[in-house]
Amino acid sequence: MTTEDIRATDAERKQPEIELNRHGLEYRDGFEAWAKRLHVEAPIAWNATHGGYWFVSGNQQVFDLARRADLLSNENDGRGTKHGYFGINIPHEPNPEIRRGRHAGFLEMDPPEQRHYRNALNAYLSPAAVARWQPVMDEITRASLDEVIETGRIDFVDHLANVVPAVLTMAMLGLPLTDWVVYCEPAHAAVYTPADSPDWPRVQQQGLLMGQRLFESIQEARSKPRPGMLDALLNANIVGEKPDDEAVVGAMVLLIGGGFDTTTSLTANALNWLSEHPDQRECLVRDWETLRDSATEEFLRFYTPAQGNGRTISQDAEVHGTQFREGDRLWVSWAMANRDETVFEDPHTIHLDRKGNRHSSFGLGIHRCIGSNVARATFKTMLKAVLDRMPDFACDPGGAVRYESTHVINGMQHLPATFTPGKRLGPGLEETIEKLQRACDEQRLAEPVTVRKQGAKLAD
Amino acid sequence: MKVRVDGSVCQGHTLCAMAAADVFELNEEDGHAWVPSDDVPPGREEVVREAARSCPEQAIVLS
Repeated sequence: MTTEDIRATDAERKQPEIELNRHGLEYRDGFEAWAKRLHVEAPIAWNATHGGYWFVSGNQQVFDLARRADLLSNENDGRGTKHGYFGINIPHEPNPEIRRGRHAGFLEMDPPEQRHYRNALNAYLSPAAVARWQPVMDEITRASLDEVIETGRIDFVDHLANVVPAVLTMAMLGLPLTDWVVYCEPAHAAVYTPADSPDWPRVQQQGLLMGQRLFESIQEARSKPRPGMLDALLNANIVGEKPDDEAVVGAMVLLIGGGFDTTTSLTANALNWLSEHPDQRECLVRDWETLRDSATEEFLRFYTPAQGNGRTISQDAEVHGTQFREGDRLWVSWAMANRDETVFEDPHTIHLDRKGNRHSSFGLGIHRCIGSNVARATFKTMLKAVLDRMPDFACDPGGAVRYESTHVINGMQHLPATFTPGKRLGPGLEETIEKLQRACDEQRLAEPVTVRKQGAKLAD
Repeated sequence: MKVRVDGSVCQGHTLCAMAAADVFELNEEDGHAWVPSDDVPPGREEVVREAARSCPEQAIVLS
């Protein structure tokens, strides 16, 4: 077969062709129109942007493809020792050295390594493991709100949704809680700052500092072990070997990146929507016990914090009439699968009591978000506290800043709001974090659930 | 009505236990679902159907 023949075949199979720049405003602001169009015309399309890749938007197509670990690879082979695949970002970073430095841990691996990492971490993140942290989540949330409760003004992103997931993640990892500030800004800014922004060099610099701090923490943890997911990673058995520092950093960056920005985004979007729908907010307050779970799943479905993931086709195959070839790149759009009317009635509207909500916001298949239980619990904790303590909050539409590009995370950079001031209930954030650090150390809260069953006990 | 969870398909999304905590249990270590009894209690058929519908991996088998 000549090169020309292959091109001709490619032109035939790479149909229907679309051009959708996921980084642009057309994707962010025209999302609903694109989803509707693609579901009808091209649930699997060849997206001729960013080097060309399959764009999968139909719910059934996403379901049938995303769970095919035999057909899809997450591998990011920055070291050049495997198949040479490019990982989960589309477009990928072309420089393998840089790509290696930004490796997203076990989310950019395939089994068996990927499974071994997850096996090492599951007992820290299962529903039973996460439930033990409820008093800690409550306390960080209380302190965050106390910082602003007397002023009547809050930025839900800066003062709440950025803080709680970050401090909790530090605690679960076994890192010093005060380090949350080292990781918080870079973890968010790296997501929302476009690479051509004048601010990008500063964001990169912050990222480097974060990396250095991580390496330091790894050395500290090796010489003076303390419970937590970092300890689990250092001692994990990955195909018979312990991971090296580079691999541990990759996994930590994944847990930090996954733990911070996603829950923040969900919380901001949900609060903004509730501000715009006071009648729905009243329903949620009144029927919290019955609506809590369905509302959470509905916000997850509708806003889909992590919009999708890239994959690489690992073997030739035909699925839903499309010819996939080994090496093709593919994007699984969790966000669009969540708006498919063949599965979700009235998909572009939020129904807090939606039933049978089989959304794919945590992904599908073997890479299901390992932190999903933390995300749900943290979100519910923050939401309930706001509804209890700032019941009349009103977001300022003029001050709300959505991420300029939603190609990775559908998030908000700022969400200022006003409310009737209330009374503080306890000490501020700094003092609370000190107290929580003592509790973490004395009670060894970050042990896996297999070692420590009981929940955190916090003195009043 | 009988219910079972296909352990090779379940990925621990936990939606089944949210719908019917009395029917589905979650493994303490990895959160994957299982049923202590495959007999659906009388009157719980509808919530179990709802759990099966909600499962993102479609791992719940009814018979």
